[in-house]
Amino acid sequence: MNESVILWAFALLTAPFFAGVIFKVKAFFGGRKGSPVLINYYTLFKLFKKGSVYSTSTTFIFKIGPVVSLGATATILLFLPIAGHTPVISFNGDVIFILYLFGLARFFTIAAAMDTASPFEGMGAAREAYFPIICEAAMFMILILFYRLTGDLSFSAYFAGAQPFGFWQTGGPTMFFVIIAFFIILLTENARVPVDDPATHLELTMIHEVMVLDHSGPDLGFIEMGAFLKLFFYASIVSRMILPFELGHPLLNLALFSIGVLIVYVAVGVVESVTARYRMDRVPKFVLTSFALAFFATVITLELLK
Amino acid sequence: MILEIVFLIPFFTGAAALFLPNTVGQVLLILTGAIHLILSVMVWIGQLSPMLPEFFAVTPEGLLSLLVISLLFFLISIYTISYLKLSDIRKKNIFTGSMLLFLSTMTMVTLSDHIMVMWIAIEATTLASAPLIYTNRSKASLEATWKYVLICSVGIAMALLGSVLVTVSMDVAKLDAPISFSAMTKVAGSMDPMWLKAGFVFILVGYGTKMGLAPMHTWLPDAHSEAPSPASALLSGVLLNCAYLGIFKTNKIMHAAGLADFSGPILIVFGLISMMAAATYILKQTEYKRMLAYSSIENMGIIAFGTGIGGLGAYGAMICLIHHSLIKSSLFLTSGNILLGFGSRLIDQVGDLLGRMPKTFVAFFGGFAGISGFPPFGIFIGELLIIIGAFRTGNYLEAGLFIFILCVIFAGFANNIMKISFNTTKASLRINESAGLVWPQYVLLFTSLVLCFWMPDTLYQTIIHAVNAIGGGLQ
Amino acid sequence: MNLPADTILSMALLSILFSFGSSRLPGLIKVLAFQGVVVCIVPLFLDQEMSTGGIVFTIATLAIRGFIIPGCIYLAIKKVAIGREVEPIVGFHASMLVGLLLIVGASFASHRFDIPSSSISVLLLPTAISLLGAGMFLLMARRNAIAMVLGYIMMENGIYLVGTTFSVRARHIVEFGILLDVLAGVMIMAVILQNIKQTFDDVDTARLRTLKE
Repeated sequence: MNESVILWAFALLTAPFFAGVIFKVKAFFGGRKGSPVLINYYTLFKLFKKGSVYSTSTTFIFKIGPVVSLGATATILLFLPIAGHTPVISFNGDVIFILYLFGLARFFTIAAAMDTASPFEGMGAAREAYFPIICEAAMFMILILFYRLTGDLSFSAYFAGAQPFGFWQTGGPTMFFVIIAFFIILLTENARVPVDDPATHLELTMIHEVMVLDHSGPDLGFIEMGAFLKLFFYASIVSRMILPFELGHPLLNLALFSIGVLIVYVAVGVVESVTARYRMDRVPKFVLTSFALAFFATVITLELLK
Repeated sequence: MILEIVFLIPFFTGAAALFLPNTVGQVLLILTGAIHLILSVMVWIGQLSPMLPEFFAVTPEGLLSLLVISLLFFLISIYTISYLKLSDIRKKNIFTGSMLLFLSTMTMVTLSDHIMVMWIAIEATTLASAPLIYTNRSKASLEATWKYVLICSVGIAMALLGSVLVTVSMDVAKLDAPISFSAMTKVAGSMDPMWLKAGFVFILVGYGTKMGLAPMHTWLPDAHSEAPSPASALLSGVLLNCAYLGIFKTNKIMHAAGLADFSGPILIVFGLISMMAAATYILKQTEYKRMLAYSSIENMGIIAFGTGIGGLGAYGAMICLIHHSLIKSSLFLTSGNILLGFGSRLIDQVGDLLGRMPKTFVAFFGGFAGISGFPPFGIFIGELLIIIGAFRTGNYLEAGLFIFILCVIFAGFANNIMKISFNTTKASLRINESAGLVWPQYVLLFTSLVLCFWMPDTLYQTIIHAVNAIGGGLQ
Repeated sequence: MNLPADTILSMALLSILFSFGSSRLPGLIKVLAFQGVVVCIVPLFLDQEMSTGGIVFTIATLAIRGFIIPGCIYLAIKKVAIGREVEPIVGFHASMLVGLLLIVGASFASHRFDIPSSSISVLLLPTAISLLGAGMFLLMARRNAIAMVLGYIMMENGIYLVGTTFSVRARHIVEFGILLDVLAGVMIMAVILQNIKQTFDDVDTARLRTLKE
């Protein structure tokens, strides 16, 4: 139990660091030296030291939005079997619970954005609401597959211990499709290129960034932190799938896990460096690809199981 | 001598004609036609034996088709020489070369016994005849060629699947026999019925596309009307028979496997649908070559119907097959004369055939009488036998429908023929009717007529032998 | 379960989805080439023992299906600068959905057949059926003439899969004859395509409508 809590704290603490890796990779591809890897910690400190500015047209919704979304995301990490260790909390059916916690976080972010009554933010909110719907379909497809493979509905049953390796044994090559599908979900849910560009300068083309334009100070810090944790959550799942090994010692496991997470972040950085953002009408197709892959993997795997 | 030489000779002369100057090519055309006819007769009297008995064999139904092909090709090649002189085809050497290659592939169809070799040969006929349809190099002919190649290729791909499924039915039953039609007919009883049925359906759809059965017939009117008349005559008179051969042989396996109750109704339905489609379009037809093309669809429908009825009907279908080839090719050749003379494919722009082209008129009207089933001609006998066969087997409704459609088609056909023959027209005539342009048709019609009154006993025996396997015969 | 074969077959299935989703002809041709290669190497993993002739034949098939046939079409596009869009009648999202349903349907259908091959590889029959269906779908749901030819090639791939794996009886020489026929067919289609492009200035089949009743 203690170990689980320590690992949870590890996740909270290192998430900003991993996100900094993406900057480094992009800087490397751009031929620049780039910001330090710990840049996100500095940013967070800076933001927490500042005060917040609230528009007079906003209500309390605008204030609780960031808090709720950070709280929800941090709670989600409690269910995540980090480094293959059993999570702090786990019950049968928690996968659904987690998906809806994400939904809750998103709802409050969207509500806060709508609360500003800014047309740009409304537009971003609409997009933020639209794309994850397709993602959710893909996500559920993957869950159905995992459920068929394990007969369980909890993350600890899927990713703790030696289980991910079991997926590879039964599912075989189809796990590649699942990983790619999951990676696409990761890119979409976390507003990364090619779905959304976190570094863009034009509000019209933004999705996630435009919704948080009016937040400042600690509120923005909460939002950033929530984004780091969310990315970490998806990255750790992919990490467990690509390196599904159980090494016997918790520290070794943690090291392997961290390597996996690093690989995912580097991959995100590489994708951001080598691809351009899709036109807005092409995004659904991209996200649908992930659904198709997940569906496909499910069909094939169930076929193989028979 | 080896049997394979029958299709190897046209293959090589055809390949040569593609590159030789046109005059040499035309000599080759006639020469090959004559040699082919001689060789076919030698096959008939059993002089040739296959070098690869696994793939090729002489079967009664193949023999019938081979003879028809050979005779038709020889006459058509004579016509072609006269036709080429008058027409404005640009690359004549490609035309003659493709004709010969086409002959080669069709001969291969008639002689092939192996189910896959048969497929290869039938697909090769599509490829060899595509340049023939594109001869005029117009927009319309391009479209017709595209439709022909694509629809037939896709259709025949279905037949390939069907052929594979037939072999699967042997695998499933753990039979160890060569996959030639003759061997499979022998062991058909112990083949797996489900896969065999599936295979038959796919083969019927596939080769049915090539044969022009509705609703897969859409390429046929386009291709037949856009091709130059000698090519149309070959397509309609012979190519359709080749495709039918594939269906017939598979049907034989079905009969041997005791699945005639399955294959018969399907053939009957396809036959009736084809006839209905043809009737609908013939009534409102504005182009005479298209009308003839639809008439081919009708006749293929009749043949499929007769084959499906079995017994007396199958014998009738065989008669129809032979006579349709003879008469329809003569009609297409005649339509070539009309096209050369009037320069239009539209029925409205053509007229007074009786006064202006009397020799052509005789061939045309004779062909019309034959194809629409006037009594002395073979089609009449064939259709009569099919109807009797249908009544004997208790298919009253189908037989009634059959007769009704025949009447409708006759009405539509007669209407258009009368217009062409007797209407007044302002068009000026461009050709005179040389012997080469009319005598081939006369010979074809005369052959058809003779066969009605006097059929050589060997021919009769061959037909009986061919339809025996599907319960055919005169009894 | 035959893992290598199933892996390869699932690649073939995946290529169906990609072909349905690709809107550009060069991409579609590449997918088809990939599919040709994948389909051709399947027999290598199915047969217990393979004769020298069999291996030579497989390599020849691979060269023709994987490289020469797609190459022909590719050259046809290059030569006459044919438009690169595939002009779908059914949109890409719907196509993708159809593709998924097709795969599900195919695997459902293949369960109803009891054939000896299912012991060799479970994905074999579903893949073959899906390829056939997908080829048909491309033929019907794309107006671009080249996409239709590619649909035909896909169907042929499916039939090849059924053929090589089910009937060991067919001799290689016969198989090779079939392959040559397909190759010649595709070449003729490529020539016709070039002519269509020159005559009509487009390969949209909606323009081919002079001949109809």
